[in-house]
Amino acid sequence: MEYDENGVSIVSNDFKKEIFEEAKKDFRYEEYVRGCLNCGVCTGGCPPHRFFDFSPRMVLQNCKSNDPALVWGMMDEYIWACFQCFTCAMICPFLNNPGGVIAILREISVRRGFESAKKVLKPYSRVLLKLTAYGNQLSPDMIQPDFFPDWGPHIGYASQDLPLKRKAIPMPTLQVTNLAWDVAPEAMKELYTIFEEAGVFKIIEVVDPSLYEIIQDIVDDVRSE
Amino acid sequence: MTIEIRNRLGLADVKSDFRHIAGRKIENIHNELLELEAKGEIKVIHITDEHKPIEAETLFGWKKKIPTTKLWHHKSCGQCGNIPGYPVSLLWFMNKFGTEYVDERNQTSCTAWNYHGSATSNPVGLAAVAVRNWHRSYELGLFPLIHCATSFGDYKEMRNLLIENKELRDEVRRIMHKIGRELVIPEEIVHYSEWVHVMRFEIAKLRKYDLSNIITTVHPACHCYKMIPEDCIYDKDIYAGKRTAVSTGVALALGAQVADYSTWYDCCGFGFRHILTEREASRSFVMDRKIRPMVREANSDVCITQDTGCTTTLDKNQWIGKAMGYTEQVPVMADVMFAALVCGADVYKIVQLQWHTTDWRPLCEKIGIDWKKSEEEYNAYLEKLRAGEKPENLYEYA
Ligand code: SF4
Ligand code: SF4
Repeated sequence: MEYDENGVSIVSNDFKKEIFEEAKKDFRYEEYVRGCLNCGVCTGGCPPHRFFDFSPRMVLQNCKSNDPALVWGMMDEYIWACFQCFTCAMICPFLNNPGGVIAILREISVRRGFESAKKVLKPYSRVLLKLTAYGNQLSPDMIQPDFFPDWGPHIGYASQDLPLKRKAIPMPTLQVTNLAWDVAPEAMKELYTIFEEAGVFKIIEVVDPSLYEIIQDIVDDVRSE
Repeated sequence: MTIEIRNRLGLADVKSDFRHIAGRKIENIHNELLELEAKGEIKVIHITDEHKPIEAETLFGWKKKIPTTKLWHHKSCGQCGNIPGYPVSLLWFMNKFGTEYVDERNQTSCTAWNYHGSATSNPVGLAAVAVRNWHRSYELGLFPLIHCATSFGDYKEMRNLLIENKELRDEVRRIMHKIGRELVIPEEIVHYSEWVHVMRFEIAKLRKYDLSNIITTVHPACHCYKMIPEDCIYDKDIYAGKRTAVSTGVALALGAQVADYSTWYDCCGFGFRHILTEREASRSFVMDRKIRPMVREANSDVCITQDTGCTTTLDKNQWIGKAMGYTEQVPVMADVMFAALVCGADVYKIVQLQWHTTDWRPLCEKIGIDWKKSEEEYNAYLEKLRAGEKPENLYEYA
């Protein structure tokens, strides 16, 4: 993949148009992109705007410009700065939803397996594995000092004698270490069917094929239990 | 019982008849929900007298019924995995009040944390997971009580999308039939903090300590009040109805001070993906935009939250701030944990503050809670468990 001087991947104009059309076809698009006053209220309240070259006002302006090249310019790193807090949606006087538009663009990016999405999501694979294979995103045994050294020395508390400390939590569903709660296999199996039918497994196969294989092995094991 | 409300530092007890609606369109989705039910398109999980509902007002002054019993706990993966005192404190109160509830294994996460972090899902996937979990509650004859703010925001959004889009309903119904379930939608999407809010005066009757010298600062969760804002509780007697009332309401009812700070509306810095894989953004935001203003402007003793991600982000990111000269520190806990603490719940066994990173001991000492005794008892309890004794649980689980 080649990149221009702004770090945006170089693709044909037809491809840019195809991506923009795909975004506009999403059933939420019209609801999220209304008229933009260019007032910048959304950007004023946007948390990552303080740390990144990122502005929800630009997201709306680019969409309203109807120029596929401007929308394409956001498809690499730009859209991944968003915190998905929806401050913009709450305060926009025109009731636009820039965070929602970003979600639509991100969906396209992972569905099509863009290199930028793969790169951004690479360190995220452990979380994806937990969620898609077991139905829980965060488990107690993930809170380890080597993964969260910046959370301070007390993080070690959670990794010592963890099974015993979890047993001391007075909710029987929580007395496990490898999941946030002990998810019943029948719930996991239903989740797998949902992921298959909704195309979620397919997305993971596109964005991280080796992770997908690991997940499918677990799915097969749980289903055969 | 009359509760004396003190709030020398803040705006929390300002009263007004003015309602803040910020020019939003006013559409009440509930009429369409009932029309779809009448047409046989969906089933609705109704809130009936059996649920002993208490009414609250939302942003536009609409009434929202909050069921107070016969509840199905829809847990949060972040809370259960990392802040266990959060759900335990809630169940502890429910046991005190004789609330009927079920906490069980047959549920999955809402998967929305993952969606907002990675986009590796879509509206069909999210809505199907929501309906699957709602249906489980429905078949048990219970009403779902949502623990996590992101689940709450996601479920409000999925409820609306399902009501507004026939194609989505048809697709989700097709998937539900494959797993032997039906398309059901709850009459209201109810967050645990709303249960705490409507129960706040009952909760305050259990108060064991005087909190008049305790200064709280409230961090409202974005996915509670910024996603589908019309569904959130506002009260003209709390911040003059200009900010969501939950969490502040229970802190005031307990007699604590609620102090204002300039960045109250900012998010916590969680970012969904950032907290896991781009943490420098999260921690800078925590220290600059939340903790420092809470301490410098409000002299806060405790930050009160109403969500999983906010509690984690605000608590866990203070230690590293010291390396950059951020000396301000404030303990962080959810409204229900703070309430349990001051109503006499055990610091270790129930509120489980031992998992928290930022030091909460000075707060306990200021309130007058003997955390050292609690620690000794907890350590002795761990030894009993190690020797093979059965755990003391809040409920029996088959
Ligand atoms: S949702 Fe995204 S764009 Fe909107 S305010 Fe939050 S971080 Fe900014
Ligand atoms: S999206 Fe809304 S808040 Fe942002 S610039 Fe446009 S009109 Fe203003």
